[in-house]
Amino acid sequence: MVKIYVVDNGGQWTHREWRTLRDLEVETKIVPNTSSFDELLKQDINGLVLSGGAPRIGLQDNLGNIDEYLQKASFPIIGICAGHQYMARFFGGKAEPSEKPEFGKVELIISKKDELFDGVPKKSVVWESHNDEVTRLPKEFELLASSENCKVQAMKHKNKPFYGLQFHPEVEHTVFGEQIFKNFVKICEKQY
Amino acid sequence: MEKMFDADKFIEKTIPKLKNEIKGKALIAFSGGVDSTVCAALVNKAVGKQLVAVHIDTGYMRKNESKNVKKLMEKMKLNHRFIDASQEYNSILRGVEDPEMKRKIIGEKFIRIFEKTAMEEGIDYLVQGTIAPDWIESGGELRDTIKSHHNVGGLPKDMKIKLVEPLRDLYKDEVRKIARVLKLEVSEKQPFPGPGLAVRIIGEATPERVEIIREACFIVEDEIDKAVEKGTMKKPWQYFAVLLPVRSVGVHGDRRAYGDVIAVRSVESIDAMTCNYSSIPHDVLDRISTRITNTLKEKVNRVVYDITNKPPGTVEWE
Repeated sequence: MVKIYVVDNGGQWTHREWRTLRDLEVETKIVPNTSSFDELLKQDINGLVLSGGAPRIGLQDNLGNIDEYLQKASFPIIGICAGHQYMARFFGGKAEPSEKPEFGKVELIISKKDELFDGVPKKSVVWESHNDEVTRLPKEFELLASSENCKVQAMKHKNKPFYGLQFHPEVEHTVFGEQIFKNFVKICEKQY
Repeated sequence: MEKMFDADKFIEKTIPKLKNEIKGKALIAFSGGVDSTVCAALVNKAVGKQLVAVHIDTGYMRKNESKNVKKLMEKMKLNHRFIDASQEYNSILRGVEDPEMKRKIIGEKFIRIFEKTAMEEGIDYLVQGTIAPDWIESGGELRDTIKSHHNVGGLPKDMKIKLVEPLRDLYKDEVRKIARVLKLEVSEKQPFPGPGLAVRIIGEATPERVEIIREACFIVEDEIDKAVEKGTMKKPWQYFAVLLPVRSVGVHGDRRAYGDVIAVRSVESIDAMTCNYSSIPHDVLDRISTRITNTLKEKVNRVVYDITNKPPGTVEWE
């Protein structure tokens, strides 16, 4: 069974990410973001989800031990909301308070095909809840999707299996959310 | 949309776990909602007569609710106590307007009454039907507090009794699945907050305002239930009324009226973590509005419909 852990940055939907993975029959656990990389490696994980968190969490200089995961991991990592913002900053991009924060229903427009979005139409309804966003994409990343008020809704590392999503695929109201998780699980399985 | 959660397996795994965990007498905080009823049924299966179900009538319950809960406890053959604490709740909430204060005061009072009962009966364990959104939204450590749920945020640090929460990792849709397997009549009952009508009155929850909101909530439920029965609409996730702290001008039979405003709230959800407002047919809204303003004509002269999703809103206003 593929093993994907959820790193808790204090988000309201951290546990919902855990539930989605559990429903997909993934072996999963919520772990604090202060866990050391060695501890996680010892448990033979195949992937990580970096959860969201309260406003400005993704803009901190240090978010637990996440730097270490992003430096050392060869397995897939997906950052959601604050986790996504922090990932962008770690790789040299920029994240700042949003000019127009988004809450609730938003239309996602996919601009580049990727296996993470297999089975997801070019335009779909996703749910948001963010005060901050990625305002400059890191050099090593490419843009996958945007919304009307937020350009970097989805991004991917060019050479590593690292993804960032501003919207929340884990909530019921994101129409293709479960599909996106299924695709991420597949990506983790491939490495495994 | 059938998810992987297996209620039979959960029941099978949980009962021996509870047998192992509960080594004496236990008390369950029994509101009569889906979560606490499922919890009571599971613990009852595990330890039988070692369990005492306690229902507290806070005075902020819905119309006839506590009476029905009493019947339910009897029907489930639970060893039970019924405590009328409405006077006490009324006096500790006097002058309290802040929503978080209300929630914390009510939560702590619950625990103090349970502790007292536990002392009297030599009970060591408190069983609660806490589910995931309760502790998530209550916050703590990394997580921001959205609202303190009565069964989490009100827990005092010096609590003397051991807490047992078998549904902690579940969401409402999963608890309902267990309720259906156990054939409990409450399986489809809409959620009702622990602090009750006190958080549906914005501002001070005085006895006079409790009467207004109790009737308004009853009308909203009754009209929507009737429409659901007729097949005009599907049963929403949660539907109720909120009493606002503003007044507006109306006209009643050629005379000026100056009265309260009721907001109707109805939302759709699977797990309470995200919600959208319900599309209630206009004729149903119309009946709700006319009936509220006619029944409560001395008090309420305006009804509005809340069209906010979660996020950015939450289901209850406080």
